[in-house]
Amino acid sequence: MLAVKRTRRLDPDPAFTAAFRELAPRLPGSANEPLARIREEGFARFLALGIPTQRDEAWKFTNVARIANRPMRPATATELPLDRVLPYLLGGPRARRLVFVDGRLQPQWSHTGGLPQGVIVESLARAAETRPLALAEALGELDDGRSFTALNTAFADGGAWIELPAGLALEAPLQLLFVTTGGEVPVMSHPRCVLRLGDGASLTLLETHVGLGEGAALTNAVLQLALRPGARLEHDRIQLPAAQGSLLAKIDGSLGAGARYRQTTVLLGGALVRNEHELRIDGPGVDCLLSGVAVPGTGEQSDIVVRIHHRAGGSHSDQYFKHVVEDRGHAAFAGKIVVHPGAQKTNAYQKNDNLLLSDDGEVDTKPELEIYADDVKCSHGATCGELDAGALFYLRSRGIARQAARAILVHAFAAEVIGRLADPTARALAETRLVARLGGGLDGALVETVLGEAA
Amino acid sequence: MATAFDTVKDYTEAEYKYGFVTPVEEDRFPPGLNEEVVRRLSAKKEEPAWLTEWRLAALRRFLSMEVPDWQKVRFAPIDFQAISYYAAPRQKERPKSLDEIDPEIRRTYDKLGIPIREQEILAGVAVDYVFDSVSVATTFKRKLEQLGVIFCSMSEAVREHPELVRKYLGSVVPPGDNFFAALNSAVFSDGSFVYVPKGVRCPMELSTYFRINAAGTGQFERTLIIADEGSYVSYLEGCTAPMRDENQLHAAVVELVALDDAEIKYSTVQNWYPGDKEGRGGIYNFVTKRGACRGKRSKISWTQVETGSAITWKYPSCILQGDDSVGEFYSVAVTNHRQQADTGTKMIHIGKRTRSRIVSKGISAGRSDNTYRGLVRILKSAEGARNHTQCDSMLIGDRCGAHTVPYIEVQNKTARCEHEATTSKISEDQLFYCRQRGISEEDAVALIVNGFCREVMNELPMEFAVEARKLLGISLEGSVG
Amino acid sequence: MLTIENLQVSVEGKPILKGLSLTVEAGRVHAIMGPNGSGKSTLAHVLAGREGYEVTGGNVRFGDEDLLALEPEERAHAGLFLAMQYPVEIPGVANMYFLRQAINAICKARGQDEIPAAEFMRKVREQARLLGIGEELLKRDLNAGFSGGEKKRNEILQMALLEPRLCILDETDSGLDIDALRTVADGVNRLRSPERAFLVITHYQRLLDYIVPDVVHIMADGRIQRTGGPELARELEERGYEGLLGTKLAA
Repeated sequence: MLAVKRTRRLDPDPAFTAAFRELAPRLPGSANEPLARIREEGFARFLALGIPTQRDEAWKFTNVARIANRPMRPATATELPLDRVLPYLLGGPRARRLVFVDGRLQPQWSHTGGLPQGVIVESLARAAETRPLALAEALGELDDGRSFTALNTAFADGGAWIELPAGLALEAPLQLLFVTTGGEVPVMSHPRCVLRLGDGASLTLLETHVGLGEGAALTNAVLQLALRPGARLEHDRIQLPAAQGSLLAKIDGSLGAGARYRQTTVLLGGALVRNEHELRIDGPGVDCLLSGVAVPGTGEQSDIVVRIHHRAGGSHSDQYFKHVVEDRGHAAFAGKIVVHPGAQKTNAYQKNDNLLLSDDGEVDTKPELEIYADDVKCSHGATCGELDAGALFYLRSRGIARQAARAILVHAFAAEVIGRLADPTARALAETRLVARLGGGLDGALVETVLGEAA
Repeated sequence: MATAFDTVKDYTEAEYKYGFVTPVEEDRFPPGLNEEVVRRLSAKKEEPAWLTEWRLAALRRFLSMEVPDWQKVRFAPIDFQAISYYAAPRQKERPKSLDEIDPEIRRTYDKLGIPIREQEILAGVAVDYVFDSVSVATTFKRKLEQLGVIFCSMSEAVREHPELVRKYLGSVVPPGDNFFAALNSAVFSDGSFVYVPKGVRCPMELSTYFRINAAGTGQFERTLIIADEGSYVSYLEGCTAPMRDENQLHAAVVELVALDDAEIKYSTVQNWYPGDKEGRGGIYNFVTKRGACRGKRSKISWTQVETGSAITWKYPSCILQGDDSVGEFYSVAVTNHRQQADTGTKMIHIGKRTRSRIVSKGISAGRSDNTYRGLVRILKSAEGARNHTQCDSMLIGDRCGAHTVPYIEVQNKTARCEHEATTSKISEDQLFYCRQRGISEEDAVALIVNGFCREVMNELPMEFAVEARKLLGISLEGSVG
Repeated sequence: MLTIENLQVSVEGKPILKGLSLTVEAGRVHAIMGPNGSGKSTLAHVLAGREGYEVTGGNVRFGDEDLLALEPEERAHAGLFLAMQYPVEIPGVANMYFLRQAINAICKARGQDEIPAAEFMRKVREQARLLGIGEELLKRDLNAGFSGGEKKRNEILQMALLEPRLCILDETDSGLDIDALRTVADGVNRLRSPERAFLVITHYQRLLDYIVPDVVHIMADGRIQRTGGPELARELEERGYEGLLGTKLAA
């Protein structure tokens, strides 16, 4: 009997304990008792929760143990030349940013000066000094029963504390750039971000994950969002992990009445990338739009998990995720809308469209509804298919080579999501990478046109 | 003035009209489940040794398994040792003609509105009557025999057609398939058996009427339908049970096999006792139904109207093995009061150009929970496979839940899957419009719900559709106040 | 036939009808005209028994019954019919089937036998032909995907078949082109009889060129402001609500 239950989780590799014992004294805020205790508790929780297996319903489509349950080290300090990082600096000249390489803040590329009074943008390490109690509280309050969140709490190294006071709209975008280099042995980093927007505050956040090394690397990121009533957050995420790089990113957020949260994620590359969202809508008039596109190929898996809780009525949420699966790629989507009792007049939508372009790829999708109120409008849809043969033929009959025709159609499919990125430089980066990914079939003129539009 | 949905009163008017108990003498085992019980059961039924062993192997599997917990239903642990695994109306031997049936049992079926003799003469439907897991009568036998169609109780099939039973029993739902299938394989008492030979189009609907009567028992029937090459059969299943405060377990297994160019249409109107409005009593309906489209161009179509049971846990499925085979699932599930339904289907596409269609309509009222759970899996071999799923929920009142849990897993690029789902309620505008035209509120609800379910109702054979329509209305009586 | 005395109605605490009085006699066609927000549609809905309206004063008698005490279906049984401005769509319920249900419900309530299927079909087809409603529309789901004109013609078809004593037409002309307007008006005119009364609610005078009323009421601010013959509608057409009633009432 026990045997069945046990296979839902694996005991973590002993290397985690060794690493924690060794690192704990050097992690940000280790000297501070409450923070150190929160980390200890996080680690104990991680050990108790273990590494989920595919028998765990939440991980049904994804074998995470293969990338997460092995000996890993924090990366050693790596010196990177500016030109390697430059392409990923987004947001234009006015942008403020924090740049991390393997979990360490890079002050030479970071820029947070001249922010309006009351705005806080500081690295996690700095926050551990300036506000250890608040940080301990924030780390401690997120207990989502997820082992990687607990692991992040234990090891949190990079990351940031961001706060906007009520009524403040930050014009310039804020970028958080996380670069992972990888090494001889698999390396891990655990960025933890806390973002709080006061009543009516507004921000454009550019979150970028980039892998630049050959070696295996795991980035285990957690972002805690709190939007007060009327706050607005535009959240563009570009994820470009290296071939051996994996990314587990969890966003936990609560949205107050009238808040607007708009997130667009573009993922290209990575061995295993799992984007998890758990969002709570706590008042009426909330507008929550999540979009994403990923193009997993051989050796790549994109796994998207969304849970939106409508805990108050009169709000709107929309999920719009697309996957293009090439070669031996694997795409998974598990989206869930929960309409809690009493959350009347909820409008919630969910759509997952998939293009499966190869005989060796796999698409799994589970668009789920859980509804406890009757006066709601909820719908979801999912599709899976290959490129439309008619459209392909049409393009070829106009003289476009097969490969190019295919690339144009795939591009069109993905571009719909890329177009939702709020920041033009983020759009341009996503476009360039997508076009490069789709191969030589796309001609320069098309790229120019597209980039022209994006800029 | 209060709005129509201000109060969703619990209904007291709508009584479960099949809730009576028939006083018949019965032959039953004391409660308990072990190898000895299984051996006794098998001996009682004079089964061949291979079947006894088959049951025992299933029992061993069962004892090593856990009650599944992934479904969205909640119930107190079931004490499988407190159930009596054999209860049968005592009669000297199976009646040779319909006149020999125990008059009490005849009266039961009369009360249920399906008099055994009239049914045969008037409706032209061949019926197998199963009373507490034991087949008590099969009508129209001779006529079917002339065509070579075998329609009899499972016990009789084991005696008369052992080669067919041995070949197909457990071939679609293996004994260790799941917890309840394992239990059924160990202790099944009876059920219906159908074999339609090559090229025969069965000229009448075949029907089984299931009735749980005895207290402290479960019902574990097993149905096996084989449609040989180029044949066709339409099979209907109806079920009712007495009102009792205790929960009774119904753990059936239905296996369908369709060979080349064969078609099986399987329709169910399930109206087991749902428990009272506080959720006391009612049937736990844990059923495994699966059809294998083994042959090329074969087709299996499931249609179900589920209004009864305290808990429904049921996923009639199709394994689409033969090239160009077709699977269909049409379902209406109504839950009211404290009922819980977790039902849906699995469509496993293996053969080339296999097609499946799923239409599910869930209606929740009262404090009930209604979940659609479905799997569409397209394997690598299923070139050109197609699936379309439409899954709609309707909520009546704000204390019930409607859930949709579809899984779509695709491994072939030429496959095309589409899934759509919506959630709606009966609008006040719709109700007012009907009432303005003179239609009472209750009738308006029934009318709108029937409209919502029409795609599924259209799939039911005529005589069943009329019954099902009425049943929908009755099940929701008093849900809008 | 219909006597409304000092009717006061609020919606969510806001007074809409503020002491409206009106008497409609059998065989007569009354038109009620008024600017947007004057309470015309509220009056139609309250008479038909729609929920969400709070009657705070006054009374309504229909024949010898207290209309406000009746459930919506009882009002229908008593012979009140409301042709709606926005007829509701009911998916999965065929138009013809719905008609049959409604007719049978009314027959039953009046203690009559249900109308035999053959006779029902004959009657439906005859009325449908007069209104230019094709067989296909009768088989389709009730109002689902119907054009504006089809919906309104379908309302008149139901009205013809249910044979009410009092027909209330709520903005039946809205969204109709001139041909559809003519068809609908012809349908209404065919139903005029000494036993039957009409309450035609409209914003524009246009409909009244085709359905010529006996009495015209101008409604504003929740009350009947003026009453006259058909010439009142034409006067309104020339001068507008503002000219006729003074600016403050033309909301």
